[in-house]
Amino acid sequence: MGNFRRLPRFDYLAPQTIDEACAVLAERPGDARLFAGGTDLLLQMRRREIAPRAIIGLKGVASLSFIRRQNGGVAIGAMTPFSAIESSPLIGEKHDFLCETAAGIGSPELRSVATVGGNLSGALPCADFPAPLITLGAVVRLRSARGERSLALEDFFRGFAETAAAPDEILIEIELPSRPACSAGAYLKFHDRHAMDMTTTGVAAFVTWDAEKRLVADVRIALSVSGPIPLRAKKAEAALRGRQVTGEALEEAALLACQEAKPRTSWRASKEFREELISVLTKRALRRAGEKAQAAAERGNA
Amino acid sequence: MKHASPISLKVNGDDYELSIPAWRTLLEVLREDLNLTGTKRSCQEGQCGACTVLLDGRPVYSCLFLAVEAQGKEILTIEGLARSAGALDPIQKAFVEKGAVQCGFCTPGLVMATKSFLAENPNPSEEEVRRAMVGHLCRCTGYFQIIEAILAAARERAGKGAQA
Repeated sequence: MGNFRRLPRFDYLAPQTIDEACAVLAERPGDARLFAGGTDLLLQMRRREIAPRAIIGLKGVASLSFIRRQNGGVAIGAMTPFSAIESSPLIGEKHDFLCETAAGIGSPELRSVATVGGNLSGALPCADFPAPLITLGAVVRLRSARGERSLALEDFFRGFAETAAAPDEILIEIELPSRPACSAGAYLKFHDRHAMDMTTTGVAAFVTWDAEKRLVADVRIALSVSGPIPLRAKKAEAALRGRQVTGEALEEAALLACQEAKPRTSWRASKEFREELISVLTKRALRRAGEKAQAAAERGNA
Repeated sequence: MKHASPISLKVNGDDYELSIPAWRTLLEVLREDLNLTGTKRSCQEGQCGACTVLLDGRPVYSCLFLAVEAQGKEILTIEGLARSAGALDPIQKAFVEKGAVQCGFCTPGLVMATKSFLAENPNPSEEEVRRAMVGHLCRCTGYFQIIEAILAAARERAGKGAQA
């Protein structure tokens, strides 16, 4: 076999703590690449799309891998693999659609290695996890040798493979606020194969139901692969708030979501096909999240 | 740029002290340094599953895993499976009996994935088996015999009181 299938050479740095990782990154700004699960980066390196001088392996930083209750919500460490998310009883109790989304990514072999932090930090338009997390109002915590800051996840993405993290900052944690009563989410995606495929387009919806007035108290909609970064469909949300989930309301929301999206034509699908998908998936995701939220209300909330 | 550094790997219960550069994958080290060629090299893109091994019981594609990051973990390859059972593992037997092997190139990966899957889900439905094996390509069998073999291995395992 030829050398072209080997990885390019690099220095390998293995911090054991978050502080060590920040210090190592600060010493080599621009020249070292953070390395989480590595399932995307190793492919890019093998194809010579990137050739970092050094990689900072985070698998040894044990304090970055956890799922725990925090302030009534959930905190997820950036190095938590998708296999841990799909089987987490805590996440299943709070947001079952996140477990389903995790279980729909790649294969068991990829999910035991690929991490939530890598999925977000890679900032690729085809990533599945950003949209559902955005509908939950997720906040990311970034740490550097200079200190720590928090940022809403929807403000984290800046462009194709580009995030708001400074060159010396590490995404360490994703925080999900406490779930409102009578609320539920759904993430629906279209892809050509049953599994092991990139998402053509995906839509996440999170609905909070007002059990007394019997209408949508609040709703968030976020779109995957509908532009260079994950997008919130805020006009579609506004159109649904305070209404019942009728066919008419869904049509209106779907039309607005299409107008807010910026899909493009790629070899995978045309712009027009993606717009059609956004419309259909927005309606289905809203209907499913709405039904689950109403069911929660009828059970006396959960 | 530092080249080879000392690393320790535990493969199939044996400890190995090696001196290798960080840019080598676990797949390369298993095949080229340890001569454990049962683990197959194929797509090298995390699509085909032929290189699947277990790390602490979990399936991973060894083509997408740096050897240096496998330190401190129990690595299990197809060679370790037959040896630890003294004879063929029940999963291997089921693959043979159900005709799930033709050219055999995908077999080690599928057997390792099955090992991990049945440990977590001893009584799977056919749908669950199909879902668990999405990360493996077989160009010969059309998958039917493979799925049959996995279900047969599960029944065999359950019958024996779920021994490891």
